Amino acid sequence: MSAESNAGGKSPNTDLPNLLDLRMPGDPAAISGVTDAITASLTELEVPEEKRMEIALAVQEALANAVIHGCNSDPSQEVRCRLQRDPMGRIVIIVTDPGPGFRPEAISDPKRTENLYQDHGRGVYLIRQLMDEVHFENGGNQIRMWKY
Amino acid sequence: MDISVRKRSQVQLIQLRGQLRMGPAVDELRQTIEEVLGNGDTRIVLNLAEVPMIDSSGIGLLVRFLASTKQRGGNIKLVQPSKFAVQTLRLVGVLNLFEIFDGDDQAVESFA
Repeated sequence: MSAESNAGGKSPNTDLPNLLDLRMPGDPAAISGVTDAITASLTELEVPEEKRMEIALAVQEALANAVIHGCNSDPSQEVRCRLQRDPMGRIVIIVTDPGPGFRPEAISDPKRTENLYQDHGRGVYLIRQLMDEVHFENGGNQIRMWKY
Repeated sequence: MDISVRKRSQVQLIQLRGQLRMGPAVDELRQTIEEVLGNGDTRIVLNLAEVPMIDSSGIGLLVRFLASTKQRGGNIKLVQPSKFAVQTLRLVGVLNLFEIFDGDDQAVESFA
């Protein structure tokens, strides 16, 4: 597992058809339903279980960030989650929120001793570990991530 | 998330079933542990055998309560976390903060 982030660069394959295009309210209680829908689609696509679980957890984390930071947990705000597959068979997930974005490089390392007992700050780190390629776009309010 | 709580030998044994992730699951477990701590119990065993996934919200909850129980002379010990849960805890560097056991009995007895 490895990851790469590209805070401002243009991502490849941005015009793929959506296999799933879901919109959800900025409500923490709505996250798991979207994650489960993505997981069900991955099962239909015959993605192996281990890879499926890694993608599902990365989706869960991306949606949580979008809801908490992009929507301030406001259910009147909307998060969009898309599932695509590129010509090489790689799974692509795109999560977009209406927030101002963020600077991923500003996130501190959750494995530092002083952060180990923090109750937050692990989401982006986990995404980068679980997915093979991660791009932050539109100033950080959209994440596009690949599983090879 | 199904949560059941039993008391064995002054240890609160909490059995979880379902994914431990942001939303009702984490909220319910937070409430359960707060109630346990509110009753003065700081020795907790969490059986995770039927928890296929833990997200960062769940991990944050576990380490936060691990710290608060330890500060009060107690602990939170884990039983049978799934392979993926172990992988996730390891990825974020907190696996070694927890004592992990193969069964409830061993975990409960370790408090003696």
